[in-house]
Amino acid sequence: MPQHKLNRSFLLLTLAFGVFLAGSYALIYVLKPTSDTHPSANRISLESPPGGDFTLTSPNGEVSLSDFKGKLVLIYFGYTFCPDICPTNLGNLSVAYRQISQSQRDNLVILFISVDPERDSPQRLQQYADYFDSNIIGLTSTPEVIAEVARRYGAVYERVDDGSENYAVDHSAFTYVVDQNGVLREQLPHTHGPEQFLDVINRYLN
Amino acid sequence: MNTTLNKTLRLTGLALAGLMSFSVQANQAKQLQVDNPFVREMPPVAPATAAFMTLINAGDQPIAVVRADSDAAKTVELHTHIDDNGVMRMREIPEISVPAIGQTELKPGGLHVMLIGPTRALTEGDIVDIKLIMQDGSEKMIQAPVRKIMGMGMNRPAGSGQGMMHKHH
Ligand SMILES: [Cu+2]
Repeated sequence: MPQHKLNRSFLLLTLAFGVFLAGSYALIYVLKPTSDTHPSANRISLESPPGGDFTLTSPNGEVSLSDFKGKLVLIYFGYTFCPDICPTNLGNLSVAYRQISQSQRDNLVILFISVDPERDSPQRLQQYADYFDSNIIGLTSTPEVIAEVARRYGAVYERVDDGSENYAVDHSAFTYVVDQNGVLREQLPHTHGPEQFLDVINRYLN
Repeated sequence: MNTTLNKTLRLTGLALAGLMSFSVQANQAKQLQVDNPFVREMPPVAPATAAFMTLINAGDQPIAVVRADSDAAKTVELHTHIDDNGVMRMREIPEISVPAIGQTELKPGGLHVMLIGPTRALTEGDIVDIKLIMQDGSEKMIQAPVRKIMGMGMNRPAGSGQGMMHKHH
């Protein structure tokens, strides 16, 4: 019996240690966003972001990723006050969009999620997205929901407070590729030109 | 290769001309050549846009652009982007320097003249006057046409996308 008891306490100890480890990890995880003010802390936080379903707001009501099952979804996080990075990326995407076939268009969804929900109303966001003439859906939500979706996709952003109304928002500029089953497959860097977007679309939709 | 040689010859020629004509007092604005300036047309709701161009210094001394002005925007600033592990951080900078007998490119994702709060709708076909002010106080006026972003891409001259139109059909 003592042997049995020893095994049992060993098991309990291991369990306790496991809980402690998990707790510490969770704590680090929870604390991480608060360290965002440190310049080097704002890195792509997850090696392989899980992605997953989300529900955000468009001018026409709620939109969920799962609404697009069976379609290829490209997701870009940005904001309408962005003078260069977002328009470059969305411009490149729209050039690629103009060169794909109608059936490819029918099976492709491009989402532009605002990382500046304080200033980007759904209407303003959609007006911006419509400029690119590639059927981009502009999506926003509460700051909390945006933060959660961004975290799950590995997108990071940080408001640069210069005291003015024209504050900028630093943000990662990846385009996330979600396949027809809703699975996050890859992230494309900002340097992707139209041809490279075209290659990706052709790879998933042929 | 050939174009590099041509460019070098051209720059050397310009440099010599520059040295001869401004041997008494170097005027930085006169030694600065601006190639292919343009302003990016923005979506109607966007409150800011950027001007891009190539700055070519024909002189044997570095030139610094320390300020820019335009009647097309309420605020004009010199900016750069820092790519911090995929996070694009845009920052105002005190100057844009152009090396002696060399050039500096202002392009999407990098250095730019930022036009904040356009005073009119900057749409394709419009011409934006921009004044560049050098460290020595000399000034250079440039005229930058407004161009649509679609098809422009990173560093891509307009119209170069044509070649791939039928690649996948
Ligand atoms: Cu800027």
